Amino acid sequence: MAQFDALFKPLKINQLTIRNRVVSTAHAEVYATEGGMTTERYVKYYEEKSKGGVGLCICGGSSVVSIDSPQEWWKSVNLSTDRIIPHFQNLADAVHKHGGKIMIQITHMGRRSRWDGGNWSTLVSPSGIREPVHRATCKSIEVEEMQRIIGDFAKAAGRAKAGGLDGVELSAVHQHLIDQFWSPRVNQRTDEWGGSFENRMRFGMEVLKAVRAEVGRDFAVGLRITGDEFHADGLNHEDMKEIAAYYNKTGLLDFFSVIGSGCDTHNTLANVIPNMSYPPEPFLHLAAGIKGVVDVPVMHAQNIKDPNQAQRILEAGYVDFVGMTRAHIADPHLITKIKLNQIDQIKQCVGANYCIDRQYQGLDVLCIQNAATSRESTMPHIIQKTSGVIRKVVVIGGGPGGMEAARVCAERGHKVSLIEKNPELGGQITIASKAPQRDQIAGITRWFALELARLGVDVQLNTAADEATIRGTNADVIILATGAQPFLTQNPHWGAAEGLVVSSWDILNGTVAPGKNVLVYDTICEFSGLSVADFLAHAGAQVEMVTDDIKPGAAVGGTTFPTYYRSLYEREVIMSSDLVLEKVYREGDKLVAVLENEYTGQQEERVVDQVVVENGVRPDERLYFQLKQDSRNKGQIDIEALYAAKPQPALTEAADGYLLYRIGDCVAQRNTHAAIYDALRLCKDF
Amino acid sequence: MSFAEFLPQLLPILILLGLVLAVIGALRRILLWRQGQESTIHWAGLFSIPQRYLVDLHHVVASDKYISNTHVATAGGFVLTALLVILIYLFDVATNILNYALLASSGLMFVGAVFVLMRRINPPPNLSLGPWSRLPYSLLIFSSSFFVLTLPASGLLPIDSGSWLLAILLVVGIIWGVGEMFFGLTWGGPMKHAFAGALHLGLHRRQDRFGGGRSTGLISIDLEKDKLGVEKPEDFKWSQLLSFDACVECGRCEKACPAFAAGQPLNPKKIIQDMVVGMAGGNTAKFAGSAYPGVELGSHKGGAVIPIVDVLLEANTLWSCTTCRACVQECPMMIEHVDAIVDMRRFETMEKGKTPGKGAEVLDNLNTTDNPNGHAPSSRMNWAADQNLAVFGSDVDRADVLLWIGDAAFDMRNQRTLRAMITLLRAAKVDFAVLGDCECDSGDLARRLGDEATFQRLAKTNIATMSQFEFKHIVTADPHAFHCLKNEYADFGGHYDVYHHTGFFADLVKNGKIKLNTNNAISLTYHDPCYLGRYNGEYDAPRYLLEAMGINVKEMERSKSKSRCCGGGGGAAVTDIPGKQRIPDMRMDDANSTGAEIVAVACPGCSQMLEGVVEPRPQVKDIAELMLDALCEEVV
Repeated sequence: MAQFDALFKPLKINQLTIRNRVVSTAHAEVYATEGGMTTERYVKYYEEKSKGGVGLCICGGSSVVSIDSPQEWWKSVNLSTDRIIPHFQNLADAVHKHGGKIMIQITHMGRRSRWDGGNWSTLVSPSGIREPVHRATCKSIEVEEMQRIIGDFAKAAGRAKAGGLDGVELSAVHQHLIDQFWSPRVNQRTDEWGGSFENRMRFGMEVLKAVRAEVGRDFAVGLRITGDEFHADGLNHEDMKEIAAYYNKTGLLDFFSVIGSGCDTHNTLANVIPNMSYPPEPFLHLAAGIKGVVDVPVMHAQNIKDPNQAQRILEAGYVDFVGMTRAHIADPHLITKIKLNQIDQIKQCVGANYCIDRQYQGLDVLCIQNAATSRESTMPHIIQKTSGVIRKVVVIGGGPGGMEAARVCAERGHKVSLIEKNPELGGQITIASKAPQRDQIAGITRWFALELARLGVDVQLNTAADEATIRGTNADVIILATGAQPFLTQNPHWGAAEGLVVSSWDILNGTVAPGKNVLVYDTICEFSGLSVADFLAHAGAQVEMVTDDIKPGAAVGGTTFPTYYRSLYEREVIMSSDLVLEKVYREGDKLVAVLENEYTGQQEERVVDQVVVENGVRPDERLYFQLKQDSRNKGQIDIEALYAAKPQPALTEAADGYLLYRIGDCVAQRNTHAAIYDALRLCKDF
Repeated sequence: MSFAEFLPQLLPILILLGLVLAVIGALRRILLWRQGQESTIHWAGLFSIPQRYLVDLHHVVASDKYISNTHVATAGGFVLTALLVILIYLFDVATNILNYALLASSGLMFVGAVFVLMRRINPPPNLSLGPWSRLPYSLLIFSSSFFVLTLPASGLLPIDSGSWLLAILLVVGIIWGVGEMFFGLTWGGPMKHAFAGALHLGLHRRQDRFGGGRSTGLISIDLEKDKLGVEKPEDFKWSQLLSFDACVECGRCEKACPAFAAGQPLNPKKIIQDMVVGMAGGNTAKFAGSAYPGVELGSHKGGAVIPIVDVLLEANTLWSCTTCRACVQECPMMIEHVDAIVDMRRFETMEKGKTPGKGAEVLDNLNTTDNPNGHAPSSRMNWAADQNLAVFGSDVDRADVLLWIGDAAFDMRNQRTLRAMITLLRAAKVDFAVLGDCECDSGDLARRLGDEATFQRLAKTNIATMSQFEFKHIVTADPHAFHCLKNEYADFGGHYDVYHHTGFFADLVKNGKIKLNTNNAISLTYHDPCYLGRYNGEYDAPRYLLEAMGINVKEMERSKSKSRCCGGGGGAAVTDIPGKQRIPDMRMDDANSTGAEIVAVACPGCSQMLEGVVEPRPQVKDIAELMLDALCEEVV
């Protein structure tokens, strides 16, 4: 057996031969703009995956079939109008050109949306029960509306077919309208559309029949379902097997796509797109259970990121197709790299869920570590060698921005040195990876380290660069990516100078041992605060997490704060909101933290033995200002060129001396993606 | 009795004695050869001996100018001298012209012999010592004796000049010289090569090799025979036994042999000498050349009816051969080492079932799945699921080109080459189709591993499959399949116009059907695959294509007909006989020494072997892949 032969065994779905067993499953891209039309950006995003070798893409997660299933919140694809057809033709051609196949997920989201915008649609659901995640109220759907929506499904499927797409996937997952009918938790109807099994199945069945009647027998039609809603009053695995078998028996379906978990609560939602705290393929058994009762291919996506893992799953026969969706967001060339025997060069998804957490905020899907994804029109996935001058580039700082800058410059063919003062690469990623359940974030660094070695970048660790050393390199281009330092001095009453408070870095890096009774004061409400609280709690500390924001971890996305909360609540971490840390003072061998309520001004005190402050970081600007004056460009990035993805004009100006740029947190505190994007768009034209 | 009276009486006796003994020796030698099996006697070839010597043999020898000039002088001088000596001293045809001619010829021979001697002052390790070290002295003695003898007769010295001492010296010299050159000619001395070599040139089993021809396909055997392959020396064809006797132990084969260089237990020269021992009986102690690396010299014995393997030589010697044909190419005596080795492998595999390493498993796989690595036959087209290829039988019944996929279908590395080829063929608008799941392995590997039965089954199956469809040419990226289809299927009724992809693409580029951009400043060297180069003489098409891309090929020292094998041919990659180093590592060293960043290849086997070398090393790319990179997009 060859190493990946199970992966590369073609399989037919209806009349369609899928070239391998790897699928990019449906997810919302959040950039079908202009009323839900697929854009050039959208087409290029899928074309890149097809070029990269994926077997099948199912695009357009939650693409709507009806005008009362709002489209604009997540800029999903709108199949309620014939205007979409020519857009589909572009999309289909782009994917087919490279041998891939493309289908689209179609749905009516029922109550799982928002009503307070766009057409101000009244949301519909079998029994008008409110949806908590979107805080969405809705009406009880009437039979006339059901008939209209069933017809809308059929017309939408017809448009997908007319546009040259290879199939449609009906969404009966994530608590959309079809599975709202299925689940007794939401469907409390007493008419022929609720109650008994057959009645609850009726709406979905009518949709399926209408769709099949519209597209004919040879067009691929599949159904995406959950394998278990994980709600006591919801559908369990045995229910789902019964449902799958029931629909399978009609012979109208060509495939099932199965995931684990319902998602109409914050806690179940986190299961659906398992972040880095989950084990590999946590819900594969549910998909395998469904495969046991159906006759058509079954696909499954949830935390399948590695080619060996995919091969193992397929070889064992649990499912027929593996969804490697986030894996392809991180690296759309995953399949090609397997074929080229460049497995070490695959940028593997680390489960940071930057992509999906942006999506739930209605922002375009981007990858934390790959700034080219979703930006295929302007940013290259494969960096071409320069045909121009070879430059000597010195990068100071081995965090994500510095590593990306060094990688891109080296791919361009320049002579690159990367100087890092710490004994390892990674910058703040290294610190982040110290927290419980967060170790996989270090995968970002691992990939960069391998790439920098492959590209022959001169990486100098344990080397603190000073002004003289940098000038002595006679570099043509100096890139400062020196990062930042914890900002504990914002309020002098915290007593950082006297050592009364420590930073989250001190704790995570192990430079300060965890106390027994610790107050974590977090103004940022991102991963760092939750991570340090979790770290302390795991170390046995009694922890209170205090924030002046609306809740601890307020800025952490919807698929990740629940996994933190599970851990923090389990360890009895107290979470307090709306309190500002005014002052810290010492009393005996204890510390007293003075907290003031944001809204009443009322003060309260905590007696603890350690205060950890997470107040973000301040840029490390020292080297920049030492080098700025003598640089050709005075350290300035031409932002017009940068935003237009064009080369920096200074590159082509003939002059002596060095160009100086700074990127990432040494400019201002942002995040990993920003640092990497800074580096890529600046350096891609060097 | 004076000197002048004594010699003329003695000479005819000595010469006659030498000639008679030579004839007896010749008859005895012929009887040894006749222990072998029957095979066609190409009588007409005997008339071509001089031409074959002067053209074909000399073509090989001429690659070493020193020895070719030396041999012309020595051998030419000797032949003339011998004829003149017989005329003058045996038949007493004494004219002054003949005497002067004899002086000239023996002088020429003497000069040649001096160069032979000089070469042996510090002989390179590939030259055999022993009797071969004696030969230059014999040549000098023979030529100088007759030269001096003829001086008085020619009138250049008084008739009675000289003394008894000189006479005795001359007699000794003539006895020595005639002994070596006439008696030794047929009784197993170094001069045996002239006698056996001349006959071998005339009666060679592969008459097509002469006159610029090429005959490289293995010769089929009748599978109905009681014994398959060669177990004992007597199982060789008589003409093969004759060919072994032609060996001059020059060791050019040894110098060229990749297995020998890698320290595997193979030395082609010694194999041939061992076969001589086997044919004539005795032991290998007298062999005065390089041992099989790692095997002690002189510890084996042989006889015409004694099994060869484990007695005369070790099985690993046979299995170290990559069938790269470098030895055959280098052999001035046109000996067919590879034929002999495969003949012996046939017995080992088919009669004893002792194919070593992964060989037996591979043969089992071929028998159960029609491919060497045991992939499901129905998965043969998996790689092309997104290529929309026309398949003979299901999509079309005719096409201009049958694209032969080969085992690359199952290998991700070489699928890249296939995909590149498909893009190129489509860019050139070539009408092509594939056999799909019906294609079986060409049988190359089975045949080289000695499994003639499996080869013949695969060949016949493929021929039957192809007979259902209409096509003008076969094109393949695999030189091994190319060789089988082109040269080895004919015995079973498969006659095709077969192209290696480099040849086919070269034509397309010449005709403007494929346009390549020429600004590819790539630092590149090209590795000639054995089965494309030495087996089929194609050295130009790959280089033409590389030049057409603007690439200036940095040639390795061992290139074209002297290219070194990648180590993957002849089943060597699966038998995997240990040595001191790996052949692909050596070949990559060759490539590295050119400073090239890319090694261009034209064979899926070579790409696998060379990519198996640990990095850092140059990248390995098939010419089709390079062409794809350089393909000018069609302007619509």
